[in-house]
Formats: sequence, structure tokens, C-alpha cells
Amino acid sequence: MLFAQILVDGVLLGGLYGLMALGMALVWGVLNIVNLAHGAFIMLGGYVVYFLFVAGLDPFAALPIAMLALFALGYVIQRGLLNLIVRSALLNTLLFTFGLNVVLTYLAQLLFSADFRTINPSYAGANVTLAGVTVPLAWLAAFLVAVLLAGLLQLLLDRSRLGRAIRATAQNLDAARLYGVDPRQIYAVTFGIGAALAGTAGGLYGLVAQITPYIGATLTAKSFVIAIIGGLENPLLVILGGIVIGLAEALASLYLGPTYSDVISFGLLVLILVLRPARSLKLA
Amino acid sequence: MTKTMVLAGMMVVLAGASAFGADPPRSISLGASLQLTGQDANTGRYYRDAYNIAIDQINQAGGVKIAGKSIPIALKLLDNQSDTNLSVRQYVQLVTDDKVDFLLGPYASGATLPTSSIAEKYEIPMVEGGGASPQIFSRGYKFIFGTLPPADDYFASIIAMLGQLQPKAKTAALVAADDAFDVSVAKGTRKLLAEAGIEIVVDQTYAAKTTDFSSIMAQIKAKAPDIVLWGGLEPEVLNAIRQAKGLDTGAKLMMSFTVGVPTADFRQALGKDAEDAFGMTAWLPSPTLKDDWFGDAAQFAAAWKAKFGYDPDYHAAAGVAAVEALVKGIESADTLDRAKVRDAIAKSDFASLYARVRFNEGGQIVVPQIVIQIQNGEVTPIYTDHFITKPIFPVPPWGQRG
Repeated sequence: MLFAQILVDGVLLGGLYGLMALGMALVWGVLNIVNLAHGAFIMLGGYVVYFLFVAGLDPFAALPIAMLALFALGYVIQRGLLNLIVRSALLNTLLFTFGLNVVLTYLAQLLFSADFRTINPSYAGANVTLAGVTVPLAWLAAFLVAVLLAGLLQLLLDRSRLGRAIRATAQNLDAARLYGVDPRQIYAVTFGIGAALAGTAGGLYGLVAQITPYIGATLTAKSFVIAIIGGLENPLLVILGGIVIGLAEALASLYLGPTYSDVISFGLLVLILVLRPARSLKLA
Repeated sequence: MTKTMVLAGMMVVLAGASAFGADPPRSISLGASLQLTGQDANTGRYYRDAYNIAIDQINQAGGVKIAGKSIPIALKLLDNQSDTNLSVRQYVQLVTDDKVDFLLGPYASGATLPTSSIAEKYEIPMVEGGGASPQIFSRGYKFIFGTLPPADDYFASIIAMLGQLQPKAKTAALVAADDAFDVSVAKGTRKLLAEAGIEIVVDQTYAAKTTDFSSIMAQIKAKAPDIVLWGGLEPEVLNAIRQAKGLDTGAKLMMSFTVGVPTADFRQALGKDAEDAFGMTAWLPSPTLKDDWFGDAAQFAAAWKAKFGYDPDYHAAAGVAAVEALVKGIESADTLDRAKVRDAIAKSDFASLYARVRFNEGGQIVVPQIVIQIQNGEVTPIYTDHFITKPIFPVPPWGQRG
């Protein structure tokens, strides 16, 4: 029963991890920007949902608002700032997003203080027990939202005009331009979607853990690992990558001891870089 | 901060005008590197505010009396961004560049352990209220003094209380982070549990700053222990409690945490889920604790709340006691000579708003922990060596609390 419980926990949390990584993978794949401020977007999304929750809104109803707010922020940052250097060396965008992360983190401390914030509706601790395995409903809901959003993103990329333009821009910029795609617009929209997904993940994260201005760095690192494992092409594979990490951490914690869970997730990263260098080289 | 500086500046001018020779000094500078931003900023602010309120209060009362003169204190604070390595460099800077006279400590054992070596190296007394690990005081250092009681005894009063309650606790889960403070807690608690005849059925250490405790919760659930004793810093404790509830895990009788339970933040972040949690504090704002500068602990708590807008906890009181111990030491040594002040601090014995301040051989204070429990949204003192309030015991299941 212990084993089954740990598997379920790992899968559910892994889905949320996957959602965190989704926006990072999308931006990385299309814009070739490794966004080191991704975790800061997750943090900001958490605060948006937190303040709406405190104002009386249900956290799940607040998620779309967080999505819109973060989309707008991402759009403006890409359109107004990042676009200026998007085609320069990778190091420049790394430096820029690193700086952005510092600015957002410390702004958050100035505005929101370092207090621990939790999104704690009455049902946050609710659970159901199925065949001896306890399933926390908040985690299950977060998992379902993650899968749903990944599916929607997949649909958007495959079926819609916007999605085709995004994929075209990623594959061949010149050809896309010839077909009338405005890359500045597409980049900004893509970055906005990435930020919106991060914001949603932040709201859900506030349901299972607490939000402080400083949660960003760890979550960026986790998203990075998952984006590498899950790949940058397929949203549902990113969720799967999250589940792999969730399971690996849960099992490491059970069999090796809880101090080893980071060793395992970063160890997996190294392993994949070694075993599939071709793919990871293409990514970087 | 600015107010302190201006006040201190004015006093420096005043003192300068009245002083004739080079001796005594015009002001006394105290230096500290604190977690004002970063992961630990939430608790770091207690020390920032404690050092400031104590120094303001002492300056308003005329400052430090040396050789018949009243000398104001100036405070030099640096922000170490919750980075221990940076903190070490900043203490070197405080000593070598800023040339402060004495040092106050940072927050938490992890940062105090290496920074106290700077104090020792430069032979400057450091009084700290943020590090409880006995490792800090077991290295034969002469210049470090601490106002938090030893970490290995944190659970002593809880375990003593359990001995007097029915039903008797027979099995325990002991979970602790791998930081300096909690490693000491776990080590001391294993011994205390063995002496009390309570069997440890789950004994887990996790990496500090972990956010996911689901595997630990699953193991606790599988073993169903009577009690859970948890040593971790506040962010970890908050996650642990929420996840315990979500996974419907817990102890049959009670759960207790080393850190977090007495803070206002704990109740605010957890709401109803904070109910019935056991914890401990070395300090409660009781009017029986008399103080030379603040009157008593209750008046101190009121002044703190009025000034900073939140309630002080034991971190705050321990921080103020650190400043007071330093000031008392300087006054009784009647000089700024560091070695003489060090000897005077070692002989400290005075009543303060925090506790009676006396240091043991290693330089650490010894005060008993008061067992507390959250009852109806209030921090309620339960037990010291006798029961103060009736505990809610055994603690009801998650859904029925509060």
C-alpha cells in the first residue's frame, strides 16, 4: 500500500511539475530562449491567485485571471524588451532573463513582503481514499488542470492558424515571414502563453505549498530539467517528463532517503544528456 | 533604521561636545549581517527589528554608561541575502573595514556556525539570538554567546509532558531537516525518546528547503506512530502540515514542531489547519519578566506591536536579549576593551524581558522550553514543569479541528 501511495503522489505532483515546465519548454523551443525568470512568473501567478483568493474568489476561478495577467506581462516583456536581443547570442538572453528574475524577485519582496502565503480554501486538505490509497483532491485537480492545459496547447499548436504560425516560426523563420507571419508578434504571443502557463502553475502550486518571493529559482531549475527530459516539441510529453521526475523523486525518497531526491532529478538530467547527446545538443 | 542613525548621530554630536579627551569613545558601533532578503527574510526581520528597537530604547535611556559617561550605540546592518557565504564575508567586512566595536549574530544555526569563527578569529565578542545548535558552543570558542537554548533539548519539555498524559505515547516518528539546527535537534531527541521509553518507528532526515514531503507522509501513515516530532524551519513545517492534511496522515495522539508554531505567520498561513499543533517557545510576553529598559515583557510586546505592526515571538525577545547582554557586559567591564568585555559577558547574570540571562561554560544560555499548543487561533502555554492549561489531547483527526 505504501508503494501504491507513493506512486500516486509522484504522478499527481509530477503533473504539476510538468505544467510548470510547459511554458519554459514552449518558449525555449520556439524562441530559443532559456527563460531563467520562468520561476519568477510562476511565483507572480501564485501571488495573483493568492490575492484574488483573499478577496473572496475561488482559486480555480482565479486561475484564468492569473493566466490573462501573466500573458499580458509576458507579452509586454517580450515585445518591449526581449525582442531587442532575441536574435543575439544565447548568453545575452540568459543574462537578460537572469536579471529579470532578480528584479521580479526583489520587487515581489518589496510589494508583498517575505511572508509565507498559502492558498488554503476549505477543500484544500480534502481527500478521498480509494483501495487504501489517499488521493488529495487539490493535487488531483492540479494534475487534471495540467493535463487539460497541455492538451489544449497541443490542439492550439496543431489545429489553429496561430499554432501553425508559431510552429512555422520555430521551424523556418524566413519561410514564415514570406507567408506573412510577423515574427515579433508571434514571439510576443508565444512568450505570453509561456508566462500564462507559468502563472497557472503558480496558482496551483499555492494550493499544495506556500508562496514566497523566493520560490522561483528552484522551480526554474526543476522546469529546466523537465523540459530537457520531456523535449520541447510535444506538450503532453512535457507533462510526462514532469511525471517521470515526480516518480523518481518519490521513489528516491522512499528507498534512498529524502535527502536524495534532488540528487536523483539532476542525476537523471545528466544521464539523459549523456545517453541522448544528439537531441540535447539540438536543443541547446 | 534611519531614525536610529539620526538619533545616534545627534547623540554622537552631543557626546562629542561634552567630552574632553579621546577617552571615553563617542559612540559604540555594533555590527550584524542579517537575512533581510532571500529565503530566510521572513524570520530575519525579527532580528532586524529586535536590534533596532533595543538600540533605540537603550539610546533613549541615555546609551551605554562607561566611566561615568553616557555613550550612544550605532548599528551597522548588512543584508546577507540568506547566503551563508556572503554572511561570512560581511562579518569580515564589518570587522576589518567598518571597524565595528562588537558583533551581533545572524539568524539560524547554519549562518551562526561559520560566522562565529570570524568573531573568534578577530577576538571580538559576538552575542547572537539566532543560532541554537550546541555545535556553535562546543568548539571551545571564547567570543561567542547565544541567547537561544540548546537545540538538542527542544523536545525535552514535550516529552516530559507526554509522560504525564493518558493515553501514553509508545511510538514516535522523528523527522528532521539536514541543517545544523535540526541535526542537533534530531540527535538530542533520539536520546530523549530512548530515555522516555518511546520507540522510534520512523526516523527520516530530509534536505533543507524540501517542499514535497509526500513520501515521508506515506511512511508515517504506514507505521501509524503515536506521536510525530518534526524538526524543520518554518517553510518546511508549513508544507508538512498542509501535505499531512491532504494525505490524511498524522499521529494518533499529537504532532509537534520545533519552529513556527509560536509565530503569527504560522496561524495566518495555515488558518484552521494550525489548530491543535504542538510546539515550543523559550519565551512568552509575561509581565513577570522584568526588564531594565522596557519595563517588562508585556510592555515590550505592546511597544513592538505598535512600532512594527506584528507580534514579537521568542526570536524577537532573544534578539533584544543579545543586545542587552552586550550592553550589560560593556557597562560592567567599564571599557570597550574586547577581552575585558568578553569576560564580563561570560559572567552575565541579569533579569531581562526574555529570561534570566546567564551563560554556560560554552557561552549558551540555559532556559527551559514552554510547551505551547494552538487553541482557538491563539498560542496557548501548556506545560513547563507543570501544566498551565489543559492540552487538547489526543488531537482530533484533521477534519474535526478548531
